[in-house]
Amino acid sequence: MSAADVVASLRRSALHGLGDASPTHGQAAPRPQASDGDRAASGVAMTDRSSRRRFGVKGPQAESWLAELGFVVPSAANRWAVSADVLVGRLGTSEFLVESLTEDVERVAAADAQLGSALRPSSVYPVGRQDLVVSLHGRQLNELLRQICGVDFAPYLLEPTSGSGPLVMTSMIGVGVLAIPRQQSGGVELTLWLDPSFAHYFWTTLTGLISALEGGEPPEKPNHT
Amino acid sequence: MKRLPARPGEWIRRDEVVRFTFEGQARLGFAGDTITSALLAAGDAILGRSFKYHRPRGPLSAANHDANLVMQVDLGDRTTPNVRADVARIQAGAVVHAVNTHGGVRSDRGALTGFFAPFLPVGFYYKAFHGKRLFPLWERVFRSMTGLGRVDLAAPQRTTPKRYDFVDVLVVGAGPSGLSAALTAALAGASVLLIDENMQLGGSGQYVRHSPDRVERINRLVDAANSHPRIRTLCDAVAVGYYADHWVAVDTPRSLVKVRARSVIVAQGGFEQPVVFRGNDLPGVMLAGAAQRLLARYAVAPASRVVILTANEHGYAAALDAIDAGIHVEAILDLRATPGPASRELASDPRLVGVHLATGVQPYEASSGAGGRVASLAFRTAAAPGRLHKIAIDGVWMSVGFAPAQSLLHQAGTVMRYERSIEQFLPQTLPKGLFACGKANGRYGFDARLADGERAGAQAAAGLGFGADVAPVSIAGEECPSHEYPIFPHPKGKEFVDFDEDIQIRDYENAVQEGFDSSELLKRYTTSGMGPSQGKHSNMNALRILARIRGEGLEQHALTTARPMFHPVLMSHLAGRGFQPERRTPIDAEHTTLGAVWMPAGNWRRPEYYAVEGKSRSEAIAAELRSVRTGVGLIDVGTLGKVEAHGPCAGEFLDRVYTGRFSNLKVGMTRYGLMLDEAGVVIDDGVIGRLRAESFYFTTTTGNSGTLFREFGRLATTWRLPVGLVNLTGHYAAFNLAGPKSREMLRSLTTLDVSEDAFPYLALREGAVAGVPCRLMRVGFVGELGFELHVPADYAVTVWRALLQAGRAHGIRPFGVEAQRLLRLEKGHMIIGQDTDATTTALEINAPWAIKMDKPFFIGQRSLQALARTPRHLSLVGFRLPPGTAGRVKEAHLVIHDGEISGRVTSVGHSPTLEYGIGLALVDPKVADSGLLSIRVGRTEMVEAAVTALPFYDPDSQRQRSGSSP
Repeated sequence: MSAADVVASLRRSALHGLGDASPTHGQAAPRPQASDGDRAASGVAMTDRSSRRRFGVKGPQAESWLAELGFVVPSAANRWAVSADVLVGRLGTSEFLVESLTEDVERVAAADAQLGSALRPSSVYPVGRQDLVVSLHGRQLNELLRQICGVDFAPYLLEPTSGSGPLVMTSMIGVGVLAIPRQQSGGVELTLWLDPSFAHYFWTTLTGLISALEGGEPPEKPNHT
Repeated sequence: MKRLPARPGEWIRRDEVVRFTFEGQARLGFAGDTITSALLAAGDAILGRSFKYHRPRGPLSAANHDANLVMQVDLGDRTTPNVRADVARIQAGAVVHAVNTHGGVRSDRGALTGFFAPFLPVGFYYKAFHGKRLFPLWERVFRSMTGLGRVDLAAPQRTTPKRYDFVDVLVVGAGPSGLSAALTAALAGASVLLIDENMQLGGSGQYVRHSPDRVERINRLVDAANSHPRIRTLCDAVAVGYYADHWVAVDTPRSLVKVRARSVIVAQGGFEQPVVFRGNDLPGVMLAGAAQRLLARYAVAPASRVVILTANEHGYAAALDAIDAGIHVEAILDLRATPGPASRELASDPRLVGVHLATGVQPYEASSGAGGRVASLAFRTAAAPGRLHKIAIDGVWMSVGFAPAQSLLHQAGTVMRYERSIEQFLPQTLPKGLFACGKANGRYGFDARLADGERAGAQAAAGLGFGADVAPVSIAGEECPSHEYPIFPHPKGKEFVDFDEDIQIRDYENAVQEGFDSSELLKRYTTSGMGPSQGKHSNMNALRILARIRGEGLEQHALTTARPMFHPVLMSHLAGRGFQPERRTPIDAEHTTLGAVWMPAGNWRRPEYYAVEGKSRSEAIAAELRSVRTGVGLIDVGTLGKVEAHGPCAGEFLDRVYTGRFSNLKVGMTRYGLMLDEAGVVIDDGVIGRLRAESFYFTTTTGNSGTLFREFGRLATTWRLPVGLVNLTGHYAAFNLAGPKSREMLRSLTTLDVSEDAFPYLALREGAVAGVPCRLMRVGFVGELGFELHVPADYAVTVWRALLQAGRAHGIRPFGVEAQRLLRLEKGHMIIGQDTDATTTALEINAPWAIKMDKPFFIGQRSLQALARTPRHLSLVGFRLPPGTAGRVKEAHLVIHDGEISGRVTSVGHSPTLEYGIGLALVDPKVADSGLLSIRVGRTEMVEAAVTALPFYDPDSQRQRSGSSP
């Protein structure tokens, strides 16, 4: 195990300590007894993807630096591109999110290491990204999105793409998110990146909404009068 | 009143009988019945009481606007107030009572109010409340008399979802014009959402049934809309508000839907208007449209012998519908001297042979018979004005005109004009992407409405790139749908203009006489249009009265704009499901395990202290504090704002933002930063560290982190400084390891050299702690040797646990916000927002060392230069309390000098270290100079506190600088 792997092994998802509903990295939640496929068929399945290795980078030379390292960089802002299991999202003119979609994309780790070292070129700046990353898919995904967000995702969900596509920066249930719809083998999947300090609120709120969508009773609270 | 045999298209299901009670008596209805239709079918005539005079009332519109038929419905353990009987479906087992009665709807003692009517003039509320002396009396009286319905305060809180919807074209109203518009837009290629407040599509086309051909055409349109792949339909949904950019609030039975459309077509039709004459509110007198709805939808005949009061073709159509239902039409009384062409055509229908038709009619009064129901109508005609005719009937149906449903158009900013030829307001200039059609656009003929809908649908679609635009439809040649002045004063009054509030003609006359002579003033003074139906049946007639009194045309007046929501919406729908984002640090669960007692800090939650079994709150806090002073403590400060600034201009940027100088800060060092606004007021502070020549890392206060990061971006853009800003607030955890043993403890977890020489006070280092890459800063907020560790959030749990594990041998203890507040108070360190307020300037906090006035510029500098030339109003000073008084002095207690307020306490507490009470106060400098502060702790009680130099503890700050004892 390399030193970097040792460090990586010390990571915890932002959902660490969520109790019974707590997922571990890469595992579906919130109902461990129901398979991911079952939930997707009846409502929405939600999976914690925070364990993927990622880094952020910005600065006037960030685009060229990424290109030199062989990453496929979207040519326009608010777009994403996937190549060789690496997702590159362009968040603005000169800010990028780079994420490994599988466990062991070495060049993501290498680039991240270079960013944190003296080898980092001038005008290229690291952006810490300890995001909660959540993917959503399922039959009622669009209905869920209509309850939590003011952006119409239907066009993206109806005609999803797999190699490149739009990146949406918006707010869901009061939390700023970065959203990428993408065609996967099992259907369209929407992946969200958000500030990890909202992880507990975001996950538990969405869990409740999904439950209600699947036919659960809306929660009732006693009125303290 | 009776139930008719089954009728085509009726909304009731006769195979399902529904049992309920009304005012304590058993009633039967059919599934699909409204409360009103079921009660009418059961023979009930009086269904409610009016708001002010408690007059008996029956249905008026049967269209969701019958403000006098408001019910309390008990179902099981739930009670629902203010249920509208004219549209609410009956439910099995429901217990229904009319609201606003004293003793029941049949013998309401509140009707006695009518005898006092002469003493209840217009503006009575305002006049009653004018004098202070009688205010309490009138408040009690009004509170006991007013208010509709009963709220169950113990009802559980139910959340309703909020939902967005998106569409190319939103069509509001699914009558003939709306259906036509929706189909045209959809055929052109646009996606369409067609909504209607009724349970089924069709609008008036569905309940005006005298022409089989017309009914058939409407049915075909409904079928086409329901089956079109690009049209979604939503019934029982009311568009209640229009907001910017075609954002329309739609209230559905389940929730409020926020529809974002690219174009909106308003096809909501018109509100039929009553004739204003004495007795027009008696049960049995109703709008013709109400009668037609009851006949067509619920197969209920609301009368057996009716007279039609009309001034348009629709009254004649209502007469035909009545005859088709077997109701005897005694007469058609046309207010016009000459009926229009469409009316004449209908009048020639063979079904109306034998029905008496009078023109130039002036209704005089309606009278009631046994049971309070209308029994006769007296009228005159223009041909024989001296002769009073009287007809015995049990129903009066009124159809003299419409007020177009234009509230959404008004809210969208449509410019209106009054069109005399049709006696109504018309859209003159519509905002881009907004269209009107049908009655709302002045088209009343059936074919004209269909054509106008096609025009609006085509234009809306074309505006979005679907299909081609078309020309407007002319209204020339159409019969005027509305009478110019259907208002007939009676010497004895009781000609009601506003049924919600029992407002009569003389009330408007008196209000105008008192000077309230514009539509806005008249509305507020008379309360006309302020009841539950929001003036849908009164605003136009009120405006007509006002214009006539002033001798002006309606062209010189305008209707008021009803604010959203212009139709009542359930409170639970308005509230929706509440989203209150709460932030948690990555070690939140660790705190819980340690017994944290939580407190809110901005939108975060933080441990106030850690509960210890057998110890009180103050004892636990004191123990945490002593741990820091004598050993080592650990606090989670991850809520601090954390920002990076990169680039060659990053130093200059910070020089401008903060009062200190940072462009000359050495790499690997930190410096305190104070931030002001343009007025020189202190707004934030933090620690700024230099990571590299072009990279800085700095903190802000917890509550300001989000706002300030946005402000930093704005400033960088405004100043055109190429600075790369990164918000790491949630992405980094932060802990403060403090206490004389902190260095020794930390040494065991890191390869960094943490010795005093290698890692001096205010230094910044990067290195691994517990195997995790960290940033470490030597800071001293709590006044002890301390290291602030900033850790990527994913690794926070690992580092936190490692620190607690390593500190076990040193007696480490986590400490919370309250211990930290006391620790910093002992050091005299201020907290922005607690020891300062929205007016506290940098000169008042006695921190000249943090302000570099010789810099070329920083925010607030010019204000400080000006303020420096004036006397200081306040100064932040420390004080010491006499023994036994610490618990009595609270934050915000006033400092009194010579009987005047001279300042206030900002922080206070008992110092476990010093063992006496200490505090900070913002006070008049002259008072501070006196050395004594008189703090008022009760109505007359004062505590004398001695002004004391800061800091209270470790005056030379040796402990935080080097860790050595003072």
